[in-house]
Amino acid sequence: MTLLDLPSNRDEAWRWSDLSALPEIAARAPAGVVPEALPWIDCAEGPRLLFVDGCLDESRSDLGPVAIGPVEVDPEGHALARLAGRVGWSLRLGRDHAPSGPVQIVHLSTGGADHLAGEIVLDEDAQASIVESFVGEGWSNRLTRIRLARSARLMLARRVMASVGFVSFTDRATVGEGASLVATVLAAGGADTRIDGSILLTGEGAYAEAGGALLARGRQRHDANYVVRHEAPQGTSRQLWRSVADDRAICSVAARVEVARGAQKTDGEQSLKGLLLSRSAQVNAKPELEIFADDVKCAHGATVGELNRDALFYMASRGVPREEARALLTTAFVADAIERVGEEAVREAMHADAEAWFAKTPLPLGEREGPAAEGGGRVRA
Amino acid sequence: MLKIENLHATVADKPILKGLSLSVNAGEIHAIMGPNGAGKSTLGYVLGGREGYEVTQGSVSFDGKDLLEMEADERAAAGLFLGFQYPVEIPGVSNVQFLRTALNAQRRARGEAELSAGDFLRLARAQGDALGVSMDMLKRPVNVGFSGGEKKRNEMVQVGIIQPRLAVLDETDSGLDIDALRVVADGINRIMRAPDKAVLLITHYQRLLDLVVPDFVHVLAGGRIVRSGGPELAHELEREGYAEIAA
Repeated sequence: MTLLDLPSNRDEAWRWSDLSALPEIAARAPAGVVPEALPWIDCAEGPRLLFVDGCLDESRSDLGPVAIGPVEVDPEGHALARLAGRVGWSLRLGRDHAPSGPVQIVHLSTGGADHLAGEIVLDEDAQASIVESFVGEGWSNRLTRIRLARSARLMLARRVMASVGFVSFTDRATVGEGASLVATVLAAGGADTRIDGSILLTGEGAYAEAGGALLARGRQRHDANYVVRHEAPQGTSRQLWRSVADDRAICSVAARVEVARGAQKTDGEQSLKGLLLSRSAQVNAKPELEIFADDVKCAHGATVGELNRDALFYMASRGVPREEARALLTTAFVADAIERVGEEAVREAMHADAEAWFAKTPLPLGEREGPAAEGGGRVRA
Repeated sequence: MLKIENLHATVADKPILKGLSLSVNAGEIHAIMGPNGAGKSTLGYVLGGREGYEVTQGSVSFDGKDLLEMEADERAAAGLFLGFQYPVEIPGVSNVQFLRTALNAQRRARGEAELSAGDFLRLARAQGDALGVSMDMLKRPVNVGFSGGEKKRNEMVQVGIIQPRLAVLDETDSGLDIDALRVVADGINRIMRAPDKAVLLITHYQRLLDLVVPDFVHVLAGGRIVRSGGPELAHELEREGYAEIAA
């Protein structure tokens, strides 16, 4: 067992994280039982990998071009990434290559802690779509190294659907000349998360998107921290995050754009928006810009608000019950984050994941008094 | 159909309606006119069930049921439609999605079968065509980027799709040019002029009433109906102003 040496909230980069449950989860033995239903997305051919507690389940996997073995990662400098080790899955595609369909990876955790590394290395003009789905109830910790050569394209989507426990992953990406990385996260389960990423745009005209939707209720916490660094001219980056927090949940997003001295004509945009569904919930947004070039265009915006009461009444006046109206408005709020996913089947699955999350929203509305606020059975901690 | 008795209502503890009484029967169109600040919009919101509009006295029954006991969405399912003076924009939710959700929620509440996507789209297209609202517009987010006239026409498309028993239309004529006014008025006459339906037109000006001729006109001033009459009352108001009558 790995000795856990976890950072504390006094460390600025970890101030919104709550890692206190991790030692207890790590001490548990996983049950190892694989359920019948796994969150495979129904789409055209493509490799499928099932990891149960961090180990490949060969009987339920179809590796395609993916290999299992040592992975060239540098996990130093990050408390959780360091635990992920140097063995895992690897997708290396040669020039102009692309898998027959999206690569689906399901990470099932059956109760304990598991750590795994991964690597995606795309040669010139290669392209891939990868969707990772996290399910189960333990702690899944991942480190992924991404290298995109000239004009390579990667769509990377994460669905965090784990019912309880913790999911953490760290991305280390370099994006070469004219290459494109679109990384999207949807956290719509019951687990807490810690999401880290650093994306270096090393080639001229590189493009990177990092963002997603974080949905939290109860005492859940989501915590995303992304740094996009422009090191070459004419790069474009987009960071679009949507956070929804109900009950006493906390969603935090720290998104940083760095523009190095030579990275002229950089076009960077950040949009961090939060929606509070209850007065006791919390959304933290920390947009940061660090610019050392003089000819750049960088925009950032951060807002936190509640559902629009006029819109709620308008919908009610047309017969839409309150909870359905809230779900419709909240779905609309996160929709543009999910819309970034280019692969249609994956995008549709993620929209459905979000809708399923809203459908589980119990009836009473926190701030509302009177008969409408009764029933429904939500237990407020 | 609608019976309002001695209605008192406050907004932020300020009394606005002070003993309003009014009866509307099926097959009738009533106009409520009055000066600014008379309580016209408050009446609409109280009937619609908006939060923050508190009834302190009096009663409202709708088809024999206590309207004030119902939530806003239940009022809609019972057959009440409130047309907004300023229809709300809802980014990210298409008109089609919104109206299908609304109609099917109403149908569920009444114990009726829900409409399929195909049936709903046919209905929406037909009602949109009649009011010059294209399918393209109906697929766009609710009222987002719509002009004032388009928003009001969109409200009438909603009336056509939902087919309420009673439409309370708050300043439906405001912000409309004469052509758009005619389209909206035609919509009201076509959809709501029926023996089993009724309309309460809340308006500041008489011009809508030339196109939708009311059976009764009421003057609302100081939170009460101070005078009632036939359609000729609207002309009298237009000629002489509210000051005389509201005094």
